[in-house]
Formats: sequence, C-alpha cells, structure tokens
Amino acid sequence: MTPASPPALTAMLRRPYRYIRLEWNAEFAALRVRTCVKPIQCYSLAAMGELQRVFADIAESAGLVKHFVMTSDVPGVFNFGGDLSLFVLLIRARDLDSLRMYGRRCVDLVWWMENASQLGVHTTVLVQGDTLGGGLESVLPFHKVIFERSAQAGFPEVLFNLFPGMGAWNFTIRKAGFSVANEMILSGRLYTADQLFRRHLADVVVEDGEGEAALSAVVNSVHPRLRGTLAALEARRVAAPITYATLMQIVEQWTESAMTLTDRDLRLMERLARAQVRKAGGAEEGAVEAIKRIELDTAWGEERTGVTEWAALT
Amino acid sequence: MLPFFVDLVTRTDEARREFETNPVVLEAVANGMSVERYRKLLLELYHVVWHFNPVTAAAASRVPDSHRQVRYFLYEHMQEESGHEEWVMNDLQAVGVEPAATRAHAAGIHTLALNGYNYWSADRRHPCSVLGMMYALEVIASVYGGPFASAIRESLLLEGERGVSFISSHATMDTEHMAELRILLNTITDDEARDAIAESTLVNFHHFTRLFESI
Repeated sequence: MTPASPPALTAMLRRPYRYIRLEWNAEFAALRVRTCVKPIQCYSLAAMGELQRVFADIAESAGLVKHFVMTSDVPGVFNFGGDLSLFVLLIRARDLDSLRMYGRRCVDLVWWMENASQLGVHTTVLVQGDTLGGGLESVLPFHKVIFERSAQAGFPEVLFNLFPGMGAWNFTIRKAGFSVANEMILSGRLYTADQLFRRHLADVVVEDGEGEAALSAVVNSVHPRLRGTLAALEARRVAAPITYATLMQIVEQWTESAMTLTDRDLRLMERLARAQVRKAGGAEEGAVEAIKRIELDTAWGEERTGVTEWAALT
Repeated sequence: MLPFFVDLVTRTDEARREFETNPVVLEAVANGMSVERYRKLLLELYHVVWHFNPVTAAAASRVPDSHRQVRYFLYEHMQEESGHEEWVMNDLQAVGVEPAATRAHAAGIHTLALNGYNYWSADRRHPCSVLGMMYALEVIASVYGGPFASAIRESLLLEGERGVSFISSHATMDTEHMAELRILLNTITDDEARDAIAESTLVNFHHFTRLFESI
C-alpha cells in the first residue's frame, strides 16, 4: 500500500480479519489472500464470511484488483475442506436449514471465482500441502492452479457415505472430463500433484519450495496479456458453461444426503476431523494418512478378516 | 439474519474446538484412561450433574414471560435430568468409590468455577444463559460421550453399561436433546439473551476443558 492508494484499497486492506491475511502488490494490482483458519485449516463459517467480505470488496471496486492469489499459511495443509465437526453437530441436531445455508455459502464463493473474469480479475492458487474435499473444490475454479510436488488432494467424502457437493462434479468435468470426475469422486482416492497434472486439474507442478517463484511467474506472464486472457476465459465459460442453478441443485442434494448419514458415518467423519486436528497440531500423520488407512482397509481388510475400520467404529 | 443455533455454533466455534482439540481429551477419547483418573473425572462430574437442576431451576424462576417457551423447555429438561446424579454415583460405585465418599468429595476448583458461573449468570446475567450451559454439555456428551464410553469400557475392562452408564446413556440421549435445543434456540431473537447464551457457552467450554485437563 502506498500513500496514494485509493481509499477503497486502503479500506479493503485495513479490515480486521482473523483467519486471513491480505497482501497487496501494487505493480501488478495483485491481491494475495493467505489463509490460516484456527484451530483447523478448513472452510469454517467464520472463515468463509471473511473471504466473502474480500470478494465483495473486490466486486465493489471494479478494476482495482487485477490478480487474485490464494495461498495457505499453514505448513503442510492447503485446506481440509468442509468443517466436518460442524457437519456432525448440525446433522445430529437435524438442522437441515443451517446445513443447506453452509452449502450455499460455499457455492457462493465458488460462483464468485467462476465469475472473476467478468470482474476483470485473473485468479491463481498455490497449493503447498494437503487439500481435501471442499479444499480441492475451492481450488478447481481458479484460472491457474499450481501444486507443489508433495501436495496431495482428493474427494474422500464417499468414504463416509457423502459426496462433494460444492462444485466438484461441475469443475472436474469441465477440466478433466466425465470419466475422471467419476473416478475421483466415486473412489474417494487421494491423488499426487503429478496425478492431478496428468488429469489436467493442476496446471503447473513444481518442486517443493518453488511454489512462490511459480506464482510470481504466472502473474508476470499473464499480466501483460491480461485483457486477452480474461476474454478467452470468458469464452471458455460460454463453451463449457457451469450454472449457478446446477450448483445449487447439487448442494440441495448434498444437504439431503448429509441428513441421511448414520451414526457410523458420523463417527468416521469425526475420526477424520480428529486426524485433521493432529495434523494441524504439527503431527506427521493427519487426515491424509487416516484416509489412506481407511481406503486400504476398505479394499483389503474386510475381505481378509471381516474386521474393518468401519466395523471398529460401530 | 442467521438462525440463532448456527450463529451460536459459529460464535463459539473456537471454544468448542479448543475442547475437542485438547490433547488430554483426544487421548481419553482414543485410549480411555486409568481407573484413578476416571474416578476423579466422575467425582467432578457428580458435582456438575448435582447442580445442573438447581442452576436450571434458578434460571427458570427468572425467565421473563417474553421467553415463556424457554421456561417450559427448562421444566421438561429438569424432569428428564432428575436423579441422574444417582447414575454417576452408581458408576463410581462400580469403579470402587462408595456413595458416602462421593457425597463427601470436595469439588475441584474448575468445577466450582463452572457451577459458580452458571448460578451467577442465571441470577445476574440473563436467565437464558442456562441454554449456553446446556448446549456446551450436550455437544460434549453427544459428540464425545459414545467414543469416550467405549474407550473407558475397553481400557478398564468394564462389561456392558456397568461403570459407564451415565456417559454412555447421555451420548444417545443428548443427540435427541440437541435437536430439541436447536429448535428452542432458533426462537430466541433478542440480542441480550443471545449474547448471554453465547457467553455462557464460551465459559462452559472453557471450564470443562480445564476440568478435563486437571484430572
């Protein structure tokens, strides 16, 4: 920020946020959002409220921000996605309305990203750690997706009898095709950065520690041809449209499906939530490792022994 | 405007997570605890449960007519919770603490702070604050009661409900209560009551976390 910064920018950067940090690069008119949601790096309602505020500020001052960049300040984690412990609480309280509201708020964020090109904003995300479920859903609408090599991602929701309902189908189909979306969403598997690159869900994969340089390179290369790039991305939206109505329709299905989860499904969800906590607390093993164990167990354990992680939860 | 239940969940999210993410709690839910520590926990819980209905009654007597739905809810809840301190006492007996010793036990400082705050807030802050106490206790019971009871049963080699009847039954029962509490909380529209409930939730989570840490 410089002394000559427009008042709208000054106001935007001075807002008191708890879970995000804003940085401004005047040379490229680039706004960077660094996320750090406590105690778990996920899309809590409070964190989403802060992001929504940033998006509203950008939209209200058209032309001010030309690049929107998102990164995580939490080592090893980009985003764990949906607020699992909130889901468990709302499902146990049979709070359909609040769960639906949560889903719609997620879709509103995704929809803003989808429309960013109309606002004259190019979006770039750098993923340097695990990104699961809603975390991956939030990455896919970005115009440019950069992964560091050790980062892993996937849609584990099917493991607890749910599915990713905030854009996963729409954006995976657009970027990678129907069969990849099918494979990723229905398997619940985790994917390496290279596997995501081969499926066209990551645009750039760099070595660990080289993400920052890749981020600068993207902004540097897009900036001189920003108008043309955004125009092309707008045309892409026409060629492969995603509508607000279909996103909302899927969220409605997601909400209804969530309300049918059994106690066993909720226990598994709680277990993943606790694994997220361990990782957030700096432990080596976190949700990704828990998912891998459940995957392996589902694939082999039941057949071999009849004893599964699922069975242990009942 | 957010429905109050989800507003409360959001406003008190960090305090709830602080309890959930506390290493002592995580360890207890995963692996149970020694019989000595379990006895200490139940002895503290005995005091929490014993004072639950008096706190609720104090609040019910002060609820203004504008919130009569809260008063009726509290009446019903007191009826349901009546005598549950006996369950804690029976569980204590199953793990070697006689009822006389349970009654003679002096509550720890965190339990005193928890109960003291709940009486004070019902009396001086706002009678609806008691709903914050209920929300915090029901979150703890409905989310953690089941796994915790299983872990205790396994680590102490207890059979069936013996020794874990209070925690185990509340895990199931409080899921029902949570749904009822949600409906009630969504009827509360004034900021004064809402703020008092949120404050009470934060304080109850805080003291309960400390109570768990101290045993």
